[in-house]
Amino acid sequence: MSTANQEEFINRIKMALGKPIATSQRDADLFKSAMSAETRAILERIKNRTPEERKNLLATLIEAAGPINLEVKSCEDLNSVSAGIVDLVRANDPEWGPKKSVAAWPHPLIENLGLPAALSQQDVNVFFTDLKETDAESIRRHVIDSYIGVTAADFCMADTATLVMRTRAGQARSVSLVPAIHVAVIELNQIIADLKELYALLKWDPQIKKEALTNCMTFISGPSKTADIEATMVHGAHGPREVHIFVVTAPD
Amino acid sequence: MSKIATENYVAEARKAIKNRVLQEALADLQHRFGRATAESYRRLPEGPDLRLKAHDIRLQTIENLDIVLETLATNIRKNGGHVHFAEDRRSAVNYCLEVAHKHKVRQVVKGKSMVSEEIRLNEALVEAGIEVSETDLGEYIIQLAGETPSHIIAPAIHKTRNDIGSLFADKLDIPYDDDPPRLTWIARKALREKFLAADMGTSGCNIACAETGHITTVSNEGNIRMATTLPRVHIAIMGMERVAAGLEDHDILLRLLCRGAAAQHMATYVSYIGGPRSTGQIDGPQEFHLVILDNGRSRILADAEFREMLCCIRCAACLNVCPVYAKIGGHAYGYVYCGPVGAVVTPLLVGINRAKDLCQGETLCGACQDICPVNIDIPRMLLALRAKLAEGDSAWKVTPADRKEKFLLQVWSWVIRRRRLYDAALKLAAAGQKLFTHKDGVIRRLPPPMHGWTKGRDLRPLAKESFVQGWKKGIKIR
Repeated sequence: MSTANQEEFINRIKMALGKPIATSQRDADLFKSAMSAETRAILERIKNRTPEERKNLLATLIEAAGPINLEVKSCEDLNSVSAGIVDLVRANDPEWGPKKSVAAWPHPLIENLGLPAALSQQDVNVFFTDLKETDAESIRRHVIDSYIGVTAADFCMADTATLVMRTRAGQARSVSLVPAIHVAVIELNQIIADLKELYALLKWDPQIKKEALTNCMTFISGPSKTADIEATMVHGAHGPREVHIFVVTAPD
Repeated sequence: MSKIATENYVAEARKAIKNRVLQEALADLQHRFGRATAESYRRLPEGPDLRLKAHDIRLQTIENLDIVLETLATNIRKNGGHVHFAEDRRSAVNYCLEVAHKHKVRQVVKGKSMVSEEIRLNEALVEAGIEVSETDLGEYIIQLAGETPSHIIAPAIHKTRNDIGSLFADKLDIPYDDDPPRLTWIARKALREKFLAADMGTSGCNIACAETGHITTVSNEGNIRMATTLPRVHIAIMGMERVAAGLEDHDILLRLLCRGAAAQHMATYVSYIGGPRSTGQIDGPQEFHLVILDNGRSRILADAEFREMLCCIRCAACLNVCPVYAKIGGHAYGYVYCGPVGAVVTPLLVGINRAKDLCQGETLCGACQDICPVNIDIPRMLLALRAKLAEGDSAWKVTPADRKEKFLLQVWSWVIRRRRLYDAALKLAAAGQKLFTHKDGVIRRLPPPMHGWTKGRDLRPLAKESFVQGWKKGIKIR
């Protein structure tokens, strides 16, 4: 745990590279600390995206989602998202116990779905992972007991059908991981084209770079899968067996 | 666990070739991945030449590794993470044990990581009285069976559904079942309990990003996310070369890694972990440790001939196209790293003489370089290793592997420089070979001292007439 270790370690590398121990010389372009013309163009493109182009990205997303068994539904408003989740709850049985329960993020987009009321008819409890209400240990227990987890996301990359989630207070990472079914709700303007666009935003966009990657950024592209037994594809190895993305095309 | 068993290469290879189940599994693996990976490179927006750019990026990072690693460590510490630089296996293992003791860890869940196999982390934890569960399905199967992985990405490739059914019935005390989905869900249930009970999770690192201060882990099952989200403590271990300088480089390498590993455009899960959970966050580890391992890598770095090998991002694409791996599988290589990558890395890590068969067993066909997402010239380095084995090398402490071979080649070289003697020798050989030619027209066995040559191959007899003789008579060239 000492830095003496580190110094010795780094000096060994310097010696191997034939560099003088005393210097910290490096290639000038190693960290690309000036914005390239390419990046500038990418950021411009994102900023000036037309509604038409956004719809095209949604089409790309739906196309990419197919082969990885990711369900994408486009919904005009929050009511139809809510109805979609109610249907999912009705159609699916819990994985471990007898009781159906849902875990959800205390995120404006999710709270506005009115899930507790919509699911009360089915006698299904919706638990919001809010530290203001309860402690981390009890949140953990509730998430483990839930069979559906509902989250928002920061972005969705269309070309690989990838949800991008940066970690924040109140937004438990386990909600997208532990329950058997993961539902993510996003707005149309959160869809971006690809990884290049994401990295450009994270590094250069004045607003987004404030938080940057946070201490844990997660990509999710479809349900958990494995092919470790005779190369047979099976969904639900450890993470969710199903992932559904609801895209709100005209938010309230 | 991975002890070094490179000396058994020939015997193990022979066993593997006779194993029909393995042969079928290997053929199937290569059939599915080889072409699909090449196709996925062609579908890159930048085209397959992105591999060449990636090679330059990797080399630049490696040549600035001191700065890149210091930047990574500084940024991770800024986020509240701990970084330990480990010179060798011992230092890395001791650090992990120290952390485990400090937190009174009793159960560990482990995400698949080749480097933790390299330092034999499981063995050390178990010796310290800690229960370790492998959580990648393939690794879990291998752990239950008490074996070692035979492929970097598909560790249980050598096991059938029946093997696994019997294994689960035996070890988990359940009725026999051989349906892959049901077997997977049985493991899901068994391992879910482990994830929830574990105090510490360990993982490797696919490609860290220095400028942001994150490690990235890539998986399809979600086990690594589990192991790095649920337990109180997370230790990640990385080989010192597994890092990109900035996001621009990371973008290219991550996309190529997913394609090389499984012909995917993006793996199901990619996590960027930069530190422990911060105030107000509900989950994630309370402590995050990163161990950066040298363990012989700086020696590879110091040799300009082999430095290129540190560009490797361990995707295993080369295993999926190698004609030698296709026949002998992973176990024959006798160490964590198998296939073409293992044939170069293993000798450099464990000793060139000790692992001489690995580099001599490859064919030099070049398929590994063609499929490599970062275009590493593996054949060149295989040849360089062979040259060291032929000539000896003091820097790497190599003694000539076969003095007899060297002597015979010296004799050969002396003879062919003497025209008359050479012609006479040819005549003698042409007459003498009749004694050894099999009735199907090939030479199956040469007499000593040349018998080594025909141990693994048949030899075509010399032509009735040499080219020079024919030329003098006015041979017809089509």
